Amino acid sequence: MTGFGRLTRTEWTKFRTVRGRLAAMLVAGGVILGLALSPMSGTCTRDTCGQPVGPEGEQVRDSFYFLHQPLTGDGAITARLTSMTGLLPPEPGSASEDDERAAIGPGGSGGMRPGLVPWAKAGLIVKDGTGQGTTYAAVMATGGHGVRMQHDYVHDRAGQPGAVSDTAPRWLRLTRDGDTITGEESTDGVIWTTVGAAELDGLPATVRIGLFVTSPQHVEALGAAGSASAPTVAAATFDAITRTGAGAGPGWSGEAIGEPPGTPEQERGRHEPAGDGFVLTGSGDIAPAVAGAAGLGVSVTQTLAGTFAGLVLVVVVGTVFMTGEYRRGMIRTTLAASPRRGRMLLAKAVVVGGVTFVVGLVSAAAAVTIGRESLLDNGVYVLPVSTPTAWRMIVGTGALLAVAAVLALGIGAMLRRSAGAITAVIVLTVLPYLLALTVLPATAGQWLLRVTPAAAFAVQQSAKQYAQVENLYTPAGGYFPLPWWAGFAVLCLWAGAALAGAGVLLRRRDA
Amino acid sequence: MSEATIVVDGLRKRFGSTQALDGMTFTVQPGRITGFIGPNGAGKSTTMRVILGLDRPDSGAALVGGQPYRTLRRPLCHLGSLLDAAALQPSRTARNHLLWIAHSQGLGARRVDAVIEEAGLQGVARRAAGGFSLGMRQRLGIAMALLGDPPMLMLDEPFNGMDPEGIIWMRGFLRSLARQGRAVLVSSHLMSELQDAASQVVIVGRGRVLADTAVADLLRTSSSLEEAYLKLTRDAVEYRAANGTEAAR
Amino acid sequence: MTGVLRSEWTKFRSAPGAVWLLVAVVAVTVAGGAATAATLRCPSTGCTGDPAEISLTGIQLSQAVVAIVAALMVGGEYRTNMIHTTLAATPQRIRMLIAKTAVVAGVVALAGAVAVPAGVLVGRPMLADRGLTLALSDAAVQRAAFGSVLYLVLIALLTVGVAVIARDAAAAIGVVLSLLYVFAILAQMVPDAELRENLREIAPMTAGLAIQATVDLASLPVSPWRGLAVLAAWAFGSLVVGGVLLKARDA
Repeated sequence: MTGFGRLTRTEWTKFRTVRGRLAAMLVAGGVILGLALSPMSGTCTRDTCGQPVGPEGEQVRDSFYFLHQPLTGDGAITARLTSMTGLLPPEPGSASEDDERAAIGPGGSGGMRPGLVPWAKAGLIVKDGTGQGTTYAAVMATGGHGVRMQHDYVHDRAGQPGAVSDTAPRWLRLTRDGDTITGEESTDGVIWTTVGAAELDGLPATVRIGLFVTSPQHVEALGAAGSASAPTVAAATFDAITRTGAGAGPGWSGEAIGEPPGTPEQERGRHEPAGDGFVLTGSGDIAPAVAGAAGLGVSVTQTLAGTFAGLVLVVVVGTVFMTGEYRRGMIRTTLAASPRRGRMLLAKAVVVGGVTFVVGLVSAAAAVTIGRESLLDNGVYVLPVSTPTAWRMIVGTGALLAVAAVLALGIGAMLRRSAGAITAVIVLTVLPYLLALTVLPATAGQWLLRVTPAAAFAVQQSAKQYAQVENLYTPAGGYFPLPWWAGFAVLCLWAGAALAGAGVLLRRRDA
Repeated sequence: MSEATIVVDGLRKRFGSTQALDGMTFTVQPGRITGFIGPNGAGKSTTMRVILGLDRPDSGAALVGGQPYRTLRRPLCHLGSLLDAAALQPSRTARNHLLWIAHSQGLGARRVDAVIEEAGLQGVARRAAGGFSLGMRQRLGIAMALLGDPPMLMLDEPFNGMDPEGIIWMRGFLRSLARQGRAVLVSSHLMSELQDAASQVVIVGRGRVLADTAVADLLRTSSSLEEAYLKLTRDAVEYRAANGTEAAR
Repeated sequence: MTGVLRSEWTKFRSAPGAVWLLVAVVAVTVAGGAATAATLRCPSTGCTGDPAEISLTGIQLSQAVVAIVAALMVGGEYRTNMIHTTLAATPQRIRMLIAKTAVVAGVVALAGAVAVPAGVLVGRPMLADRGLTLALSDAAVQRAAFGSVLYLVLIALLTVGVAVIARDAAAAIGVVLSLLYVFAILAQMVPDAELRENLREIAPMTAGLAIQATVDLASLPVSPWRGLAVLAAWAFGSLVVGGVLLKARDA
């Protein structure tokens, strides 16, 4: 056995022969698992709450007002958009509930105020039928992001910026050529610019083509941690509509895709003729589904809530593994047996990190699996994650706990006092997350989650962030400011710095 | 019975599977030094901890001047004790260590300075106690035991870690305490020291008293206290080195 | 009793770093509040938020330092076995515990009485720049400030109780910080709204800090004084359990 192997074995023996330490590690694992079983319940069965699945396998939102005709084979549609308006939910606190109720009625605005959310969409779309989650391509004007070409829910390409109005109308054209759909835009109907082209694999010969309008949830932060989301409505005026290709004709059918039953009157989609065109009104979104304020259900990250409790135990064990040496002067025996202090410290780090990693990995795997099943059994809708993401969360949780234990070991070696070291590590790793979740203004909270070791909780992020979906991408909603690898690297930097500092101090100080 | 008597009466105490005390009974009389000896694990420290009210016996009682220790209002004015000389906050100065103890008995700084002098700590009183040698810590422990000027004293291994000069000082010091009419209980492994200093010995083994007799009586049948001790504790030791007489058992 | 009190006071002031820890309580309280106020970015419609809460954010951090003070005061004695000396000097263990608790409470109250007004006074002009007024004459603000001092004292008492139970400063700190931070995070993360409210009502930190709220009191999970009473119940409970164990156990 090599010298370092022997040293590691020594430290392992030292670790495992203190009964409390192994017990604490097992309790840490148990807590992580136990807190995965949330008593939450809902009304979903395994089939009912699911959202439509897009062509690329992800959960999508697919509800909008669709005025369509069939298209067989190749063809195109062109239209001019002359206005885009909308209604936002009432200003929070502006009207009392009674006023609101009184205002709701046919034609009433229900207390809603005029305004357009940035991702309200109006434009042209080619779609495989009228079912939710089917393949599509669309070119559209938006409330605040200019003209876009989007297809299959997750793909988004920007065209020219600027809003649509009477004085600045926008011409749009969508052309099918085999599986290729091309979107174009123009300000005068003469000079056309291509916004983008999409390849829709396996598009059938006959598809639906037409006009659409939709408007996603309005999301608003309330105070530091609260949030509110409410439906919005958009209306758009189309004229100068021309069609080419088989299936073209004067008849149009209007349909609210994915509109849940019981939708309030003013949010219901409809179309009305206006001049030689139509005014379309719609609500919803054609986009990937997200968790949090703008979405439905809970993310798998929820099942790993116990990580925080486990972390505290792991930090205590990691710290005491070092500071315990200074009690009763055991450090002198240790250093008599292994005089190379830096290697002794490294061996300790390997042991405490290794044990923690194994415990964290096993308990996180169990927590995700069992916790997810129990949520589903209780009728709570859990947003699905891909297998690589699930494994990244599980392995990441083990690694997060292990590196935090090493950080605690390093700080313990520097301070040589348990209470101070434990507090320092907990304040560095747990408190920033809590503050970001509760009192801190969003900017300060996100900044803390970039620079403190708490950044590493990004390994547990399961929800994806999409530029084309307006949401509160906050820690409370399960979103971290750094990608998972960068967040984990921040923790590793802290642990590395603590170990290096401890190594220098150990060598320099008298034992 | 005198005010200044420590009475240990039928103490029993079990720690898990170990019977630490098994009917321990003896009395410490004033005006003399009582040696308290026995092999490791015989129950000496546990007995002292029970006398101080730190551990609760399963049965039996220990009385200090006729009262249980835990009912005493200013206990250090009745019984001064030295249990573990290392039990102090290492970065507190010796004087501050004594000061907080003095305050707990309603005593002031003047008494602290007096015992510092008595224990010979004048030069180091304002240094952190963590830097003290074991011998110095023993002196600090003695100073603490003397704080309340108690009629009874109980010292656990006071000779531990002392240099020859310190041992001579301690021996004379213990004698002077007895001469002042105090009851003094001293545990030690150093038989020769006890033989010179103590007039009475309590020899214990396996949680029981094996002999409670005057040193002079023991010396009549044995050539030294050591020989008498080995004879008495032959059956009561838990282990003995392989070259010892009892190895075969 | 005065003797025991004086003794614990001497012990406290001659302990290494004790005074520095109290200075840290003040510094961290002020710095935490100032940093939060400084990073406040407001939408064009004007700042929302509770000015008292913002200027006293530092308490969330400084309570950890208070926990260290209290945990060391008890745990330090067990670490060095000095508890034997303490109990030999004061065999009436409950009296000793009361004296120790009183000293810790006193010094923490003193530190809090400096830290909280300093935090408010430093945060006030910074908040005023952002259009938030913190009126010192407002009864709610006074309640928030006075209550924050009490909050720190109760955290100290809770920690003393836990440390007596654990007989170890490291374990005590771990337990107390779990009770404060982890409990609060879990209460925040629970997706079920009703359960979340219930947990926030009994979590010592979330409930206790309700005392800092000065606006939008209706949205609190628990009213300010009731919240502080919840924390007091936690502290009292830990002290009672600690006292019973201290009396029953061998030292």
